[in-house]
Amino acid sequence: MAELRATLSIYVTACVVVVHLVLLPALFFGMGYVIRKSHEDVFVEHTSTFSRVLADEFEVGAALDSQKRIEDLLDFAITHGGAGYAELYDRGHSTRSLYGLPEIKMPRSSNLRFGQAGDGIYFVVLPLVHADHRAELRLGFDEHPTQERIQLALTQMLWLLAGYLAVAILIAIILSHRLSRPIQRLQAVSRAISSGDYTRALNVNTGIRELHELAVDLEAMRHELVGVNDRLQAKIKEKEISEVRREELQKQLRHRQRLETVGTLASGIAHEINNVLVPIILFTDTALQDLPPSAVPRANLERVLAAARRAKDVVKKILTFSRELDEAKLALIDLREVVAEALHLFSVLAPPTIEIRTEIDESLPFVRADATLAAHLLMNLFTNAYQAMEGAKGILMIGLRYQEHADDSGIPQPRVEFWVRDTGRGMDAATVERIFEPFFTTRSVGQGTGLGLSVVHGIVESFGASIAVESKIGVGTTFRIFFPAVARLEVIGDLTASVV
Amino acid sequence: MQSILVVDDEPDVRDAVKYVLNRAGYSVRTAESAMDALAELARNPADLVITDIIMPQINGVEAIEAIRKAFPSVRIIAISGGGNFGVTEYQPTAITTTAYLASAEKAGALLVLTKPFESVELIRSVEQVLGIGHA
Repeated sequence: MAELRATLSIYVTACVVVVHLVLLPALFFGMGYVIRKSHEDVFVEHTSTFSRVLADEFEVGAALDSQKRIEDLLDFAITHGGAGYAELYDRGHSTRSLYGLPEIKMPRSSNLRFGQAGDGIYFVVLPLVHADHRAELRLGFDEHPTQERIQLALTQMLWLLAGYLAVAILIAIILSHRLSRPIQRLQAVSRAISSGDYTRALNVNTGIRELHELAVDLEAMRHELVGVNDRLQAKIKEKEISEVRREELQKQLRHRQRLETVGTLASGIAHEINNVLVPIILFTDTALQDLPPSAVPRANLERVLAAARRAKDVVKKILTFSRELDEAKLALIDLREVVAEALHLFSVLAPPTIEIRTEIDESLPFVRADATLAAHLLMNLFTNAYQAMEGAKGILMIGLRYQEHADDSGIPQPRVEFWVRDTGRGMDAATVERIFEPFFTTRSVGQGTGLGLSVVHGIVESFGASIAVESKIGVGTTFRIFFPAVARLEVIGDLTASVV
Repeated sequence: MQSILVVDDEPDVRDAVKYVLNRAGYSVRTAESAMDALAELARNPADLVITDIIMPQINGVEAIEAIRKAFPSVRIIAISGGGNFGVTEYQPTAITTTAYLASAEKAGALLVLTKPFESVELIRSVEQVLGIGHA
């Protein structure tokens, strides 16, 4: 259906054409009639007046008695009256002007109207009464000049009307375009809006009030939609951000819960084992004291005691995981000192196949951390890195640098980044995901407890710092720890407090 | 002879501590709970109470407070194997050994000992605490 509908301009133009096709012929024929009639009337008026004057001349001037006079008057009718035929018929005698057109014959009936004769001659017959004369004046006027004038006038009128029609169509086209252009513009904008593009402003210049008002209304609607759309988009974005943040927090919480569970479990086990160790150590200890130095079971009992002491140490290590974090004593420390100390220790332990490189900023702000735990943390990361490069040559890169990082509200916060990069095996995404879980290890049984990195994570959290891991299989792994830097003013405050 | 009361819910721990202290020449009695200990003290006073911290029903910290109240002259040593024993649910501030021992000290224990300990440590601690009274 929609395809069959004409556009507004075609529709208006077609209407104008149809109306004129009906009106113009009617006008043409009406006007033609009037023109023809008036020309005929003028012709008839002229001929009858002239004939009457001539007849009067014959009657009053007593011209009927003189043949010469009759001929002169008849010739006058031809030469000055526009007649093509002039004859006087008197008592059976006919006189005809020789100037006239000889082929013209007097018709049988003389009461013919203009154009009726068919030969293009209009005949006027007037009876003349004078003395004993009973005469008849017969005049024939040529209709052709009048017919030609009528034809000319009609042709001119036809041209005029054709011109008028052309102008009317032109005006119709122009007007309809002026009407349809703003509508098309409105249409384009409303289509853009319906397809979700609210950015196109509506600039419609039209003198038509309805269209102008429609445009103003549509623009107001668009403006409103832009606002609504912006608000909606802002809301969606806000929601997306909060969703991401929520997921992140949930992930952190889950991780924390796992750590806590392990901590709780470790504490419970530690308690039990410690209770079991008390009688073992005490009884063995006293038994050893009671035995003479040369007694045979002494060596065995000493081994029992040594094993019990080792068990005590293992429990202590496991407890470190849950206990040390709670005991962390945060103080202002210079990470460069901690790194130097840890490096010194590590360089003794590290195999010669590993090259150690450092990249440490000259001057760094203090961070709030526990120096012992921080050293523990660093050692854990170094050990992890060198184990990842085990059995091969590798480079261990260690760095410390100052940076500013925008927080959630976009305000840049100073922080110190500590990073450790190894050229080891690397890990896949699934491993990276689980790396901080307690007891998660990629090493074979007996080669590691799987507690190292979860301890790292716990320590990092206890400092209010954060940790990030990047890893690529076959390329290596980078751990980054971001410590919030302590502002200079806070440092002064803390130092003053410690002096007091 | 100075008398010592050892309070612990673990029989092996009680016996081992009792054995070591008997050997060192102290008169030692045992109790398996805080309630037992209070009843025992009411029957026969003691110079020193060595109590575990983590015990069912009444824990060691509460026991120390009760003993200090009822028997102000009794000296107390707290011992603990640590751990947040009995806590099965997630707790953001799980109480650790150190925290327990610290609160035991606050409650009135003159000395705290972490399990497991060697006989020398135990005897030295007992001597130290009882010596405070003599000084």
